[in-house]
Amino acid sequence: MTYFNFPHIEEDDNLKNLRNDVKSFLKTTFNSNNIKPQADAWMYSANPEFSKKLGEKGWLGMSFPKKYGGREKTMLERYVITEELLVAGAPVAAHWIADRQSGSQIIRYGTEEQKKEIIPKISSGECFFAIGMSEPDSGSDLASVKTFAKKTDDCWELTGRKIWSTGAHLSHYMIVLARTEKLDEKNRHSGLSQFLVNLKLPGVEINPIEDMTHQKHFNETVFNNIKLNKDALLGEEGMGWQQVVGELALERSGPERFLSHYILLDNFISEFRYKMSEMGITSLGKIISELQTLRMMSFSIAWMIQEKKSPDVQAAFVKEAGNVFEKKLIETIREMSNLIPFEKWSSSLKSLFQDATLRIPANSLRGGTSEIMRGIISKQLGLR
Amino acid sequence: MKDEAKIILDICNKILLKNVDHHLRLNLEPISTQFKTLKDEIISSELTKLLVKEDLGGAGMTLTDIIPIVQLSAQYGTPIPFIETIISNFLLSELNVKPENDFITLTNKTENIQIKKDKISGNFKSIPYLNLVEKILVETEIKNQKYIILFKKGGKLKLQKNFLSEPKFDLDASELEIISMMEKPEQIDVQNLLINVRSIQSFGAMEKILKLCIEYCSQRKQFGRTLSKFQMIQNHISEIALEVAASGASLSTLKNNNKNFYNLKSTAIPKIRTGIASGKVIALSHQVHGAMGFTKEYELSYFTKALNSWRNEFGNEIYWQNILGKLFLNQNKNLWEFLNH
Repeated sequence: MTYFNFPHIEEDDNLKNLRNDVKSFLKTTFNSNNIKPQADAWMYSANPEFSKKLGEKGWLGMSFPKKYGGREKTMLERYVITEELLVAGAPVAAHWIADRQSGSQIIRYGTEEQKKEIIPKISSGECFFAIGMSEPDSGSDLASVKTFAKKTDDCWELTGRKIWSTGAHLSHYMIVLARTEKLDEKNRHSGLSQFLVNLKLPGVEINPIEDMTHQKHFNETVFNNIKLNKDALLGEEGMGWQQVVGELALERSGPERFLSHYILLDNFISEFRYKMSEMGITSLGKIISELQTLRMMSFSIAWMIQEKKSPDVQAAFVKEAGNVFEKKLIETIREMSNLIPFEKWSSSLKSLFQDATLRIPANSLRGGTSEIMRGIISKQLGLR
Repeated sequence: MKDEAKIILDICNKILLKNVDHHLRLNLEPISTQFKTLKDEIISSELTKLLVKEDLGGAGMTLTDIIPIVQLSAQYGTPIPFIETIISNFLLSELNVKPENDFITLTNKTENIQIKKDKISGNFKSIPYLNLVEKILVETEIKNQKYIILFKKGGKLKLQKNFLSEPKFDLDASELEIISMMEKPEQIDVQNLLINVRSIQSFGAMEKILKLCIEYCSQRKQFGRTLSKFQMIQNHISEIALEVAASGASLSTLKNNNKNFYNLKSTAIPKIRTGIASGKVIALSHQVHGAMGFTKEYELSYFTKALNSWRNEFGNEIYWQNILGKLFLNQNKNLWEFLNH
C-alpha cells in the first residue's frame, strides 16, 4: 500500500570525508577571497571566479562521464557537495543551473558535438545556463508556451519571449522549450521541443527585471527570429514535454528547496544559543525533526536519479514540503524574536533575516508553484 | 528486503487480509470465533516470534527487518496484541528467556512496585489489550535498577476512558505470580523502542487513511461530480499524501541500524514528525469524508482514533521537540554537526 517510497540511503565514510574536504575548502576560500556567506545564495550570489575554483576542485559536473570532462562520480557525492555549499552560503548562483539540470539534459539528450563542446566547460565552472521555460503568458501552464521554432531547410528560426530567466545576463546558454508544431488542444503536451540556445547569438535580447528586493537576478529573454543551427535541437523533435518533466525533477528535488535560508538559522543559533527560552528550544526541536526528514527525502531522490529511476512525484514532495518548511522557519525565528528583541540582534543577523523575509514569497513560485506540486501529487494518486 | 523477510511479510499479509475487518474491530471479544481464528493463525505461523533468537525457537529477525510487518499490521488496523507480543517476546529473547506461545502485552508505566518472593504488587498503567491476554511483561525500576518482569494477569482491571481505538487498562495488582524477572540490560531502552514502534504504526495507519480518502472521493458524487474532481478535495488529499511521505522518510534512520531504535535522536525525529503529520491527517481526512467519517460503522474513525492515541503516548510531539532541542543545545556542536553526527 506504500504510495511514495523514499528508500533509506546511508551516508558512507567516503561521503563523510567528502563533506569534510568541502568544508575545509570553503573555509580557506572564504577567508582568502573575503567572501561573505549569503542566504538564498544559489539565486542571488553569483561569483564566476568562485565557480571556476569549484571546477578546479573537481566538484562540478560530478556525475558526467569523464570523456566529456565530467568526473564520473555519483549523484550522492554531488548531493553532499551541494548541501555543504548551501549551508555555507557560498556564491554558487553563476553555475548552479548548469550544474544542476542543464548539463544533465545535454548528457541525456545532446549530440556528441554538444557534449564535447559544452560539458567540459560546465565541469570547469566556466559555462553558465539559464532556464527557458516560463513565458509572459505561460507560467504554471507550461504546455501553453508560445515561443515557436520553425524548421527551414538549413536551420531553426526561433521567435518568442521567455521570462523569469534567472541569471540569463550572466549565462552563456539557455535550454529553451518551444513549440515546433501548432498547439493541439486535445494533446497539449505534443509538438514541443527543447533547444540549446547560445545567448550571444544576434537577435537575443536580455532585459533585466528588478524583483521586490531591488535585485536584478532575473530577466526577460527575447528571441527575435534568431537562426539556430539544425543541431541546436536538444533531443528529439516533439518530445520536449517528456524531456522537460525529467529536467524539473532535477530542479525540484535538491537541498536548495529547504536549505536556502539555513545560514539564517545557523547564525541565529550561534548568537542566541545560551539565551533560548523554553519555547525557542521547543521550536528548535521541531525544526530539527522537519529539516532532517527533508534531507532524508532529498538524499533518497538523489539516489533514485543515480539509479535511473524517475522520481518526478517524489521531487514534487520535496519541493512543496521544502517551501512550507522554509516559510515556517522564518516565521519561527520571527516568533523567537518576541523574547529576544531585534535590537539585540547583530546587524549581520538582522540583515539575513530581512533578506529572508523579503525573498521567501518566491520560494513557492520558482520551480513550480505549490498548486502545481499538489496537482502532480493528485494526478499520481489518480484523482485527476 | 531479504527474501525471507518478503516471504514472512506475504504470510502476514494473507492472514490479516483474511481475518481482519471492521466487524472484528467493533466486536472484539476473546470468545469470538473471528478473534480466535486470527489468533490461532498468527500464533501457529510463529509470527509472534520473528524477533526471537533462532536458538530459542524464533526467526532471528532484527528490529529493522520487522518495520514492514509493524507497518502492515497498522495498515490493516489489526485490533489485537500482535505487535505487543512480538516486542515482548523480543525482550524475553534478549534476556535468553524462551518466548511465549500465546499473546502477551506490555507496559513500562508502573507505580508503587513491590516484589515479595515470587509475587509482584503495584499499579500498572495504560496496558493495551489486557482483556485479551493472560500474561503481562513490564519494565519497572526498583531501587535504581531496571527490571523486565513477566507475570500472570490478575487483580483489578480498569478500562481507561479515552478516545482510543485499542482498549487500554490500568491494573492494580496485589501479589501476582512472577514467571520471569531479569535485570534490564543497559543497551536496551524499552521506552524508545516502544515509541519507535508507535511511530511506525502511525505511519502505517496514515497510509491506510490516505487509501480510504482516495477510495471514498473516487466513488462519492456531489453536485454531479465525483468528489475527487474538486480541486479543494485534491488539495486536501495531496497534503495528506505529503504528510504520509514525510512520516515514512522520518523513519529512515531506523531502517539503518537496530541500535537506532534505542537512540534518543533517532527516536525523537520520527516521534515528532509522525506526531505533526498525525494531527494534520486526522483533521484533513475527516474533512474529506464529511459526516460519513464521523460514524462508528465506517472504518476511518478507527484509524484516526488510533493516531490520536499514539501521538499522545509517551509525551506528545511538543514534549519531544523540547527534548530534541535540548539534546542539541547540550552538545557542544553546531547544528550542522549535530545533524550529520
